[in-house]
Amino acid sequence: MTSKSPPGRAEQALRKFHEEGAIGKAYDARLLRRLWPFVRPHALLIALSLATLVVIAAINLGRPLLMGDVVRQAAVRKPGLLMRDGIGLALLLVVTQGLTFVQMYTMQMAGARAMADLRSEIFRLFQNLRLRYYDRTPVGRLVTRATNDVDAISELFASGALNAMGDVMALVGIVVMMALLDWRLAGVSFLALPVVGAIVHVVRGRSRAAFRDVRARTARLNAFLNEQVNGISVVQAFVRERAMSAEFDAVNVGYRDANKRSVYYDALLDAVIEMVSTLCIASILWFAGARHVHDPKITFALVVTFTQYIRQFFEPISLLSQRYTLLQSAMSGAERVFELLDEKDIVAPALAPEGCCAPGAADEAFALENVDFEYKPGVPVLRDVTFSAKRGERIALVGATGAGKTTVASLLLRLYEPQGGAIRVLGTDVRGYEPRALRRLFSVVPQDVFLFPGTVLSNIAIADEQADRGRAEEALRRIGALELFERRCGVDSAGGATSALDARVDERGQNFSAGERQLLAFARAIYRDAPLLILDEATASVDSDTEARLQRALEEVIRGRTSLVVAHRLSTIRAADRIVVFHKGHVVETGSHEELILRGGVYARLHRMQFAHEQATLAERLVHSEQRAVG
Amino acid sequence: MPTGSSIYRFWRSKAAVTSAAHPDRAYPTTLRGQFRRHGPQYAIGTLTLAVSQLAMNRIDWKSKVAIDAIFGPAPATAWKPAALMLLLAVAAFVARVASRWFVFNAGRDAEYELRFELLRKLHQLGAAFYRKMPAGEIMSRSTSDLQQVRLLFGFGILNVLNVVFVFASALQIMLRVSPQLTLACLVNLPLVALVSRTISGQMFRRMRENQAALGHMSDVLQANLAGVRVVRSFALEERERQRFEQTNREYLNASLALAKLRGSFGPVIGSVAAIGVIIFFWYGSTLLLRGEGQGGVTQGSFFAFWSAFSRMTWPMISIGFAVSVVQRGRAGFGRLRDVFDAEPEVVDGPRRAPKHVSGSLTVDNLSFCHGARVVLDHVSLKVTPGESLAIVGRTGSGKTTLAMLLARLLPTPAGAVRIDGIDVCELPLASLRSAIGYAQQDAFLFSTTVSRNIGFALDDPDTSAAQERIREAAREAQVLEETLSLSEGFDTVVGERGVQLSGGQKQRIALARALVWEPKILILDDPLSAVDAKTESSILEAIERQAAARTVLLITHRVAAAARCDRIIVLDEGKVVEQGTHDELTRSGGIYAAFAVEQQMASELEEIAPPASAPLAIPVEASAT
Repeated sequence: MTSKSPPGRAEQALRKFHEEGAIGKAYDARLLRRLWPFVRPHALLIALSLATLVVIAAINLGRPLLMGDVVRQAAVRKPGLLMRDGIGLALLLVVTQGLTFVQMYTMQMAGARAMADLRSEIFRLFQNLRLRYYDRTPVGRLVTRATNDVDAISELFASGALNAMGDVMALVGIVVMMALLDWRLAGVSFLALPVVGAIVHVVRGRSRAAFRDVRARTARLNAFLNEQVNGISVVQAFVRERAMSAEFDAVNVGYRDANKRSVYYDALLDAVIEMVSTLCIASILWFAGARHVHDPKITFALVVTFTQYIRQFFEPISLLSQRYTLLQSAMSGAERVFELLDEKDIVAPALAPEGCCAPGAADEAFALENVDFEYKPGVPVLRDVTFSAKRGERIALVGATGAGKTTVASLLLRLYEPQGGAIRVLGTDVRGYEPRALRRLFSVVPQDVFLFPGTVLSNIAIADEQADRGRAEEALRRIGALELFERRCGVDSAGGATSALDARVDERGQNFSAGERQLLAFARAIYRDAPLLILDEATASVDSDTEARLQRALEEVIRGRTSLVVAHRLSTIRAADRIVVFHKGHVVETGSHEELILRGGVYARLHRMQFAHEQATLAERLVHSEQRAVG
Repeated sequence: MPTGSSIYRFWRSKAAVTSAAHPDRAYPTTLRGQFRRHGPQYAIGTLTLAVSQLAMNRIDWKSKVAIDAIFGPAPATAWKPAALMLLLAVAAFVARVASRWFVFNAGRDAEYELRFELLRKLHQLGAAFYRKMPAGEIMSRSTSDLQQVRLLFGFGILNVLNVVFVFASALQIMLRVSPQLTLACLVNLPLVALVSRTISGQMFRRMRENQAALGHMSDVLQANLAGVRVVRSFALEERERQRFEQTNREYLNASLALAKLRGSFGPVIGSVAAIGVIIFFWYGSTLLLRGEGQGGVTQGSFFAFWSAFSRMTWPMISIGFAVSVVQRGRAGFGRLRDVFDAEPEVVDGPRRAPKHVSGSLTVDNLSFCHGARVVLDHVSLKVTPGESLAIVGRTGSGKTTLAMLLARLLPTPAGAVRIDGIDVCELPLASLRSAIGYAQQDAFLFSTTVSRNIGFALDDPDTSAAQERIREAAREAQVLEETLSLSEGFDTVVGERGVQLSGGQKQRIALARALVWEPKILILDDPLSAVDAKTESSILEAIERQAAARTVLLITHRVAAAARCDRIIVLDEGKVVEQGTHDELTRSGGIYAAFAVEQQMASELEEIAPPASAPLAIPVEASAT
């Protein structure tokens, strides 16, 4: 319905891609059973709400009778009774409204609390999923599970899909009451009912389809617009503004027309219900006129009561069909949430010490023995890697990008599980540690430093709830970065920052340069003061001033700790007690700088080249360019 | 509903005629202009609304006639007004649907047109605007603010009109039956409007707070998941849990506060409105009791009054809503104007597009600043048609800025850059940018098929000739085999919501996109940063083939790539510091020579013979953790 010409291949592929999954069931006992544990703690509130619902339905059923009675008292001219009924009617209305509030609020309270618990559960799962799960799942999708999908489920309570029970009761009650009052008149009123039912069914079905269409198109429209904004420079550089505008127009027209369709069916439904309600009243009047000639039981009061019942009858009909739609989307939300909660790829618990392999020597800081590892099956990253470090030793990993150096660091922290071999930290197999206890032994300075939104302080004292300002400042001073951040803070102080520690950090630390982020990570490591240090030297380019600063800071961080440095700079490599040369997942050489030079292997060759180079007058320049060696 | 969809199709066919896609049309971007543009729709909407309310008015009156007949002297004649009621009900139905259709659709049309204009404006705006207004902010304007404007144009206007007509139609009956009763029943009307206005105002505020709390929670979640490696490495799970639980609690409280208000809306309004109903039944019954002779009312009048009065309840409540909708619509429109009124910094030059571009490029004393920082400092260079030039330099040396200035993707100073001797600022943007093709560093792909991404520059990417070119470009960029191994081949949807590609794959697809393009001067900005050495040399050959047909500027920090170009310039801190061929520069012992030595070492490392056990191929992407 969107475009006039037959869609191209890409368009077909896109449509297929953007199609929402098959329409879910509106009722799925399995999903409801799984929701129950979250709802059970709040079951009392729900019971209260449902009980109130019954009371409200009963009162609503009585109201038309009372209205008829008012009219009847007027007819028999008894002002006293009229007064009584008037007050009764007033009370009834106020009480009903009060109860409605109680009913809705208790239901939502139960629902919102259950959903908060469900979100906590999802968050707990997130913290336990293995890292490899994150390697293959976009973050946005996971955020959607805990936000939008849970919100869809909460509509069960918020918009009262459970209140459908009340609607059904009201319908049945009204039919029974009318039949009891006058079965012939009731028969006339409900003459049109099957027709109405059929119309509502058809129109609502189309309206639902239109609504789903609108949702899918909304997603596509916003995604398209978002991409145009984010990829604006590509669009402009390729001069595709007009083409993109035309493509967007198809999406925009599709969105508009889907909405028009939805509006049309909604308007139709409302108008049909209003029309039929008038038709019913007209038929009653017609029939009453015909019968009143010989049947005095047809009174004005009866007509009033019937009219009120008819008006009340059509309200739940239109509500019920709306609730059906919500129920469907709640079920598909629940489906996705529980599919996530069923994820089995979670971190294994710590093994008992005796279940692990033999402990290492007393002075061993960490060791890898015959470690095999692959991220993707069939693509080995580490093969038979063995090396170890004594306490206080400084180890440098050297090798080309992709040789597996960074992976070694991840395995020591047990972020991933090796397929073969054993890894020990401080003499104990990593599987014997509770993961968090293991990781507390390490300070990590990653290559690409991730900063959390907050302040410099909160990022340095990353693991502390109550940050120690003194220690954080001392950490910055020791790496010689305090005045650097103070200077920066001077610029930021419009935001009210008073110290280097209070400078604001934006999302992902995007308001800090790569060098500054690196320095922050060093400060973080000093503040943490863990016995083992893993440092992935940055290859990113920084200016020479920052470069010199980083070199000094690195020395300061390494001092007094066992360290594993994924090294890119010769100065760092040379200063190591032991150098491990990696090539394509294998350890090809191990030894001190002198030993490796003597051996005359790969490292010696590398070093000779570098040394000859440094002999030239380019020593100063080299510092800059070296980092770009591997890119 | 057979007639339903046929009526719908009828309207659809009419609507389709008025919306034939044409990229050059312009729509008004002011509130007044939009109102005027959709005037006919509003006029028909007003008319049909009037008709439907007139019918309702007559229905009420016929019910009076019928009831007075039934309970009066001639019950047998009651069928006449009853039959009329049936007909009127059908008329009211048709008019009502039509009124909704026209007014709501006017709102949808206004929304559509404003969104169309919005994207057109966004396409014109340059870097200065996007630095000032982040993507999230732009998106919030084009979604929620635009939605408010649409509500103003549709729901808001319908409600204002509806209130007028319902009041007219109902009051006519009520006043005719009894002015005193009317006055008595409407005594609480101002109160209903006031209460609904107050509560709806508060409700919108709470809804915003609720949205903000949800946004805060997803931000925390987003940071936690994006930083999952840091969280694990530093054992921050407990701190993160507390952080999340706090936002989770805040969201719970916000949604309960909203629920409380939303839950009380009905009851409070209902109670206030109920005052009117009670007055009616009480006082109305008294009048009924009095009988028509003594200033009372008949049963029919009582019934008609009741039915007219019932019709007024919703419009009374909606006055408050409509006021809020109008206010928020105007505020939302104000924020949209920030985009509509922004001035594009780069605009078309006065000259006509030249018929032929030979591809010579002159840069003369080009300087450029980002705020106070000097990015380019008196850069001059010359490229002859068909020549290939490498621009080498450290990160931050100004390479990318230089390239973007050539194609006027940034505000290029007048007179500094000439193509075939013509100042680029004098040319129409479209013709300039088609002549100077800049393929950016960051491999941004669109969420569409691989085929569409590669054929981005093509007007008709679905023809078989185009498909062949796309395939060929993929082969040249060394991404053909990987593409074919995807689940749907070239028709696989990629991007955030589609198949996740590695950095290297994305970069090669982006390169293929540039290769399909074939502008006279092609600028490739660091197209190989995430590509491994072996693939690199194959790609370089493809680039060399390109260079045979056009002028190529290659921005790179790889000596292997630069060496293949005819000439190399080296940028440092915004200045051209070295210039010459590969051989000249390696001999001169400058920055370039340092690069060369350094990279020779790196390739040395890559080429060490693997140990005897097993030769292993490790893709760069797989281990980038």
